[in-house]
Amino acid sequence: MRGSIRYFLLSVLFTLLVSLFDMINPRIISFTVDSVIGDVAPAFPAPVMGMIQAFGGVEYLRNHLEAIAAAVALTALIRAVCRYFWRYYNAKGAETFMERTRNTVFHHLMTLPTSWFGSHHTGDIIQRCTSDMETIKVFLSEQLASLFRILPMIFLAFTFMYHIHAGLTGIAAAFLPVIVGYSLYFHRRVSGAFRKADVEEGKLSSIAQENLTGVRVVRAFGKEQYETERFESRNETYTAYWIRLMRLLAAFWCSGDLLTAAQILIITCLGTKYCVEGSMTAGGFIAFLTYNTMMIWPVRMLGRIITNLSKTGVSLQRLQEIMTAEPEQDRENALCPDLSGDIVFDHVSYAYETGVDVLKDVSMTIRAGSTVGILGGTGSGKSTLMYLLDRIYPLKEKEGKISIGGVDIQDMSAAWLRSHIGMVLQEPYLFSRSLEENIRIASPSTSHSEVRDAARLAALDESIMKFEDGYETYVGERGVTLSGGQKQRTAIAQMLVRKPSVMVFDDSLSAVDTETDAKIRQALSEHTADSTVILVAHRITTLMHADEIFVMDKGRIKEHGTHQELLDQGGIYRRIYDLQMAGQEAQT
Amino acid sequence: MSRDRKETVRLPWFGIPQLFPYIRKYRKTLILMIVLGLIASVADSIMPLFTRYAINHFIAQKTLDTMPVFIGLYLLTALIKMAADITSLNRAGEIEMSVNRDLRNASFRHIQTLSFSYFNQNSVGYIHARVMSDTGKIGELVAWRMMDFVWNVSYLIAVAAVMFALNARLAVLFLLIIPAAAAVISYFGRKYMALNREIREVNSKITGNFNEGITGIRSIKTMAIESVMETDFCRDTEKMRKVSVRAAHYNSLLQTTMSTVGSIALALVLWRGGILTREAVIEVGTLSVFISYAVGMMDPIEMLVDTFAGVISIQANIERFTRLMNTESDVADTPEVIERYGDTFHPKKENWEELKGDVEFQDVSFQYPDGKELVLDHFSLKVPHGTNVAIVGETGAGKSTLVNLVCRFYEPTRGQILIDGRNARERSQLWLHSNIGYVLQTPHLFSGTVRDNLRYGKNDATDEEILEALRLVNAEGILDKLANGLDSEIGEGGDQLSTGEKQMLSFARAILADPRILVLDEATSSVDTVTEKMIQNAISTVIQGRTSFVIAHRLSTVIDADVILVVKDGKIIEQGRHRELMRKKGFYHSLYTRQFEEAALNSMG
Repeated sequence: MRGSIRYFLLSVLFTLLVSLFDMINPRIISFTVDSVIGDVAPAFPAPVMGMIQAFGGVEYLRNHLEAIAAAVALTALIRAVCRYFWRYYNAKGAETFMERTRNTVFHHLMTLPTSWFGSHHTGDIIQRCTSDMETIKVFLSEQLASLFRILPMIFLAFTFMYHIHAGLTGIAAAFLPVIVGYSLYFHRRVSGAFRKADVEEGKLSSIAQENLTGVRVVRAFGKEQYETERFESRNETYTAYWIRLMRLLAAFWCSGDLLTAAQILIITCLGTKYCVEGSMTAGGFIAFLTYNTMMIWPVRMLGRIITNLSKTGVSLQRLQEIMTAEPEQDRENALCPDLSGDIVFDHVSYAYETGVDVLKDVSMTIRAGSTVGILGGTGSGKSTLMYLLDRIYPLKEKEGKISIGGVDIQDMSAAWLRSHIGMVLQEPYLFSRSLEENIRIASPSTSHSEVRDAARLAALDESIMKFEDGYETYVGERGVTLSGGQKQRTAIAQMLVRKPSVMVFDDSLSAVDTETDAKIRQALSEHTADSTVILVAHRITTLMHADEIFVMDKGRIKEHGTHQELLDQGGIYRRIYDLQMAGQEAQT
Repeated sequence: MSRDRKETVRLPWFGIPQLFPYIRKYRKTLILMIVLGLIASVADSIMPLFTRYAINHFIAQKTLDTMPVFIGLYLLTALIKMAADITSLNRAGEIEMSVNRDLRNASFRHIQTLSFSYFNQNSVGYIHARVMSDTGKIGELVAWRMMDFVWNVSYLIAVAAVMFALNARLAVLFLLIIPAAAAVISYFGRKYMALNREIREVNSKITGNFNEGITGIRSIKTMAIESVMETDFCRDTEKMRKVSVRAAHYNSLLQTTMSTVGSIALALVLWRGGILTREAVIEVGTLSVFISYAVGMMDPIEMLVDTFAGVISIQANIERFTRLMNTESDVADTPEVIERYGDTFHPKKENWEELKGDVEFQDVSFQYPDGKELVLDHFSLKVPHGTNVAIVGETGAGKSTLVNLVCRFYEPTRGQILIDGRNARERSQLWLHSNIGYVLQTPHLFSGTVRDNLRYGKNDATDEEILEALRLVNAEGILDKLANGLDSEIGEGGDQLSTGEKQMLSFARAILADPRILVLDEATSSVDTVTEKMIQNAISTVIQGRTSFVIAHRLSTVIDADVILVVKDGKIIEQGRHRELMRKKGFYHSLYTRQFEEAALNSMG
């Protein structure tokens, strides 16, 4: 709230002024009707009487009605100016608050551990950050503003009405809880129905989505008719649901109108009666009716605002859940050591939160500057090992130790560690920006020629130059879609420009064909002489040239040695090798 | 790219005539809605007359004689208004939703017939928005904007009529206010609308940022670029605040001016009306009517201007919708073909011939509709039924072109493709597609149960047939993992399954269709060795007796192929059997040897 609170306070101040000025006009009207046009002696508090005298008294005004018109126009002008500031400061407060909130939430998201993202649905998190955020914003900028306005308005209107006729005010007020209650009941009921309508829309929308993403499948199986029927029947359900919902809405609004009309009728009749009896003047009657009309609409809105209040409460709570999630934290006095030393995994074990063991007592040493291969099938734990090294997954107490150059990675600053370990993921993510910006995203000072050099090493330059916009080609969510192999090569280039001390290729050549794979590995081995390279793969050709190869199976290291040693051992490695090479040796 | 085109096209009459075919069905309901809307707004506009009567008759003459009649008439008017309101609101809702539904159905149906060049040129998100959001906005226009228009215009006319009937001189004063108010609104309104558009743009950027920050979190962490992302994010939120505050400025200014104009009207009424009342030209009650109109007339004017703004802004949606409906498929069956074989939605299966599976490319040249050069140039190839064709080449070399042509996703630019000896164009697309099985590189499953997904290949497949298909590809194991067997929901995109498992299912789905022609697109590239071996075994079982086209990365899968096509830079540069190609010592040879050279060297040394 800090930073925006003063805007909200200003906004409240001005809304009070607006409400006050709102009340003046009907009084001018009633005075005009009764005392200027009619002949009733004005009965106002002393200061107001003084003002009338200052204008030249009732007699003068009778001949100069333009003075009254001027008074009306003047109050209107002041009111209008106040109204502007009320709205303006409210918006400013709400927007300032939203900016801060969005930034805080985003910052918090950036510090949360990946395990948190794994245990929450992406769609749900995004919805919290966007729709729930929007709900809060609408509440702050529209409903809160109305609330600030409605409450003083009701209070002031009743005060003025009471001044005109106490009895009639009581009757007008008696309707208030009925109207608010009715509106409240209805909005409660309808907001559930709206949620359901959203769910229905989601279902319809996802049928269209699946149809479009799977267009090849739909066509190749000749399923257009089936898909259309599926869509149309969902569409029918959705439409019917909405028509019912709209009926409900119409019924509410119209019965609300009737309720209001009844209230006005009763006030008109009783007011008339009081006028005839003489306890009320004609001008007072007109003013009373005006106040009543002024008030009735906001009162009807009150039900909606109160309902939204609870909706906003829910949204706030959903955001709060994100904000209270525990962020990643470095230990105190985190170190930023040199990371070009030996990497040692010392009796490392790891289990998912579900209790499934992924790694069991893994120990290995990766010599500084060497190239090491880790071979394993899906679920062997080879990727987990790398995530532990990068502290993407946290290593728990007493589950072993990972150190680089003798320093425990848990004692290091995570940002330092990660910026010196270059990791290329199997399914890398490209950001909505140009290819060039993507490549240099982690080291913004990289020059264009360095970017191109890296792209060449990653066998990407040629493909990029084929795009119409070359390196300026916009990729990511709203840009050109790259193939899996192109994405992986972009990620490799991205890592190369960073010149990290440790390079990890986590199955990152899997979508690249063998030819390109070989080309890239050739180029890399020539340019990464100083770095420690870890190749994680399920394809033997990718890592057979490594200085040492570790074979992982079911979370353990089963074999290790050079390619030749492993072949001679005749173990798992040999089996996988034979499988992958099957049928080819006969041909060569 | 077409999606980036600025939509500035102005259609005559805001494009509304384009919608007539969709509205015509509901014209009776529409007329009913308008008539009832008229009644409701006239009833609304005469309500102040009751106050006038109360003041002029009861109060001025100090009598309550006609009170019961007064109450009766008042209630009657209120009830008529309510009945008219509720009916016309219901009709409006019905029209809106029905038109929406029809437009959505029409666009979805049309999209099913569009060719692949459309899908290549427009992103899924873009097409999705055409089906889901444009249609909704158009329906809203037809029902509610029309309703608003009827309501407000008739309210204003009725009010004007009442005023003229009561006192023409005062009424004229009012009419002078209306154009002034409208001018103010349209001036500020335009600014406000432009800013609103900007807000929506920034908003979608912020949503995009969140999306990236969340889905890309792993890449962000491993590259340690949290601060880069945050800087970008803060830049967008700051822009959001600035633009929003500016929009609020104009919006407040608009409201402020409107209420000032309203108050000026009130001031005028008090002044001129006051004089008239004093001179006893009009009565106090009449003055009160004018006062309530002065207060109550600004809202309808504002709404009317809003309505116009809405109509103008909806133009873009109508334009996009009509453009979609006018987009023609590059691959269309001729009227004669449709006559004999039926179209996509009305197939005449009784006339369909059996498909044997002979495919022949006869002097085919091909260029993608959005491409610059020919990717096939006078290409000829006979593929007798049962032949296994393998297509190899580098990533992005254009290996799927041939498959696209065989599936008739595109038509040859020149030359023809013969299926069983007859030009593919002589039979319907649906006939061909019903005989093709397709397995994608990234398997696509639909939400629903395992059974639903497998039946995609064959509508009336029995559980035995489904299990048999799963057995054929060694995928029965997947069922053991799922709680409800064939009835297990596999969720959107099949998220509960691993990529390998999804591949196996999509494979079984293709088998179930028992197609004469089978297309496999790099189906073996992202699974572990054991699964891969399993799939390879399944492939060799399944391609027996079928014409098959396999796009492969791994050369081991193509050695046994009857024909290997080697693609480079989109063109077929070599073709033949493995031994022939090896003997030729061309590109295939180098592709092949380079992969295994080192391997062989090591295993010998």
